[in-house]
Amino acid sequence: MTSTAATLSAPPPPVNRMRVSPAFGLGTPATLFVLLGLIVPLALMLRYSFNKYDPAELMISALTLENYAKFIGDAFYQQVLATTVGISALSTALCLIAGFPVAYYLVRMASPRMRSLLFILIILPLLMGNAVRTAAWMVILGDQGLLSSAVTMLGLSPAKLMYTPTAVVIGLVSVLLPFMIVTLQSVLEGIERNLEDAAASLGAGHLTVLRRIVLPLSLPGILAGTMLCFILSMNAYATPVLLGGPQFHMMAPEVYQQVTKAMNWPFGSALAFILMAVTLVLTATSNTLVQRRYRKWSE
Amino acid sequence: MSNAAPNSIYAGVTTLVVGFIVLPLVVIAWSSFFANPILTFPPTGYTLDWYRRAWDMDVFREGFIVSLETAAIATCFSLLLGVPASLALVRYPFFGRDAIQTLLLSPMIVPGIVGGSALFIAFIEMEAITDMQIAGTLGGLLIAHSLIALPWTVRLVTASLAGTNRSIEEAAASLGASPFTVFRRITLPSIRSGVIAAALFSFVISFIDLEKSLFLVGPGRTTLQIALVNYLEWNLDSTVAAVATVQIVIIGTLLIITDRYAKLSRVF
Repeated sequence: MTSTAATLSAPPPPVNRMRVSPAFGLGTPATLFVLLGLIVPLALMLRYSFNKYDPAELMISALTLENYAKFIGDAFYQQVLATTVGISALSTALCLIAGFPVAYYLVRMASPRMRSLLFILIILPLLMGNAVRTAAWMVILGDQGLLSSAVTMLGLSPAKLMYTPTAVVIGLVSVLLPFMIVTLQSVLEGIERNLEDAAASLGAGHLTVLRRIVLPLSLPGILAGTMLCFILSMNAYATPVLLGGPQFHMMAPEVYQQVTKAMNWPFGSALAFILMAVTLVLTATSNTLVQRRYRKWSE
Repeated sequence: MSNAAPNSIYAGVTTLVVGFIVLPLVVIAWSSFFANPILTFPPTGYTLDWYRRAWDMDVFREGFIVSLETAAIATCFSLLLGVPASLALVRYPFFGRDAIQTLLLSPMIVPGIVGGSALFIAFIEMEAITDMQIAGTLGGLLIAHSLIALPWTVRLVTASLAGTNRSIEEAAASLGASPFTVFRRITLPSIRSGVIAAALFSFVISFIDLEKSLFLVGPGRTTLQIALVNYLEWNLDSTVAAVATVQIVIIGTLLIITDRYAKLSRVF
């Protein structure tokens, strides 16, 4: 999201005064395609977010902030945003807690064969599609699902999970965990094992080694992983719709609702940009905070 | 190392977490064989009937065909655009190269819902100007899916190009080969595995896309993912489990083939 703004003002591929660089002919079609298919539509949508909505004419050209004001003044949408941020923060935190030991195990302890097997098991579900993975959780968490049947068979009364925020968090964590593990393991791979061995040989316990050596050195990966998970869950669609049910509202389904069902493009566009802006500000802030902390650590 | 205790703790946590990731897929595949008329646990028996029923349902059969078609054509487009662009990025230094690279990768960064709604609005506006239907047509869907696939193609092909030896190309050129001959006889064979991986991966990414397609499907032009979500909003039965299982098998096979050409652990 940061990059798109920067590239808007980027100059076109340069034309050499004497002859045209081959790069121009090779790169222009793809560049134009992304410009026309992504950047221009985004710019158009940003412009429309300042238009007025009219029930009869749908959209009236204007230059107003009323769509943004409507969002800020409306308790319902504030709640939607709060839910989205809360659920995303919780899911991301859970992904980090569950993902770190797995990444560490993969890099430091698993045998090469075990490692590639586990890797395939983690990556394949990631690319199965959100629809299929959410369907799978519906089969497990549903009122007559695997979990409640198992609990009933044990003679207990099952708690209702389907259409609760808990179900959404469970679904999101399982969708996002592979992203976290993959990001973390690629950074952990770059940390020299000697450092840990040296600390251990000097008498540091495993937790001390983790806290003093591994954690500070893997901070870039932790940051990248949490940002990725947070962005993805802020924009999640299938999980909140299917596992949260009709009474559960998050931002991405609201954008879809406004743009296609209510045909309120100005407000839908404003929602989309608020979503992107909030995501950007939160990730940038946590980035700076963590890096400041990191500098303190490394001093 | 002398930490036998942490070792087993890590192994335990890993087993639990990997189970949490994989188990849902196992459960849905299992439930696609249940003989129970309503999806309940435990199964009363097993049957293959749901697979036939899934194929008999227009939404799933047509969705499957639309998805295959869209993913195949979008993959071709993304290769046609992405391979030359990757060549430009890796082989020719030019002013603003980093910016162009970021631009080409940006469809991966912009959230699907935001990019999809922007494209939808742009399509409707284009329709008003040109009097031609775009949203809800195969053309519109193809534009969106080529955009989804392009950054992955660029990422995989540039990585593969960066690992090749440029001097062989220069030698061929100095011996009189035309640029196209150099590309066909030298460059393409040396990045072959990167291109194959890019094609397979682009296909998968397009096939499973949900968010961006949401805005662009129309009557009779619904992708499988949208058909699944629409169905799941009201029903949950073994038919949908059968469709999901077929998808798991297809994607799984494609990914395992991809892994032979470019390590999946390096793709992300």
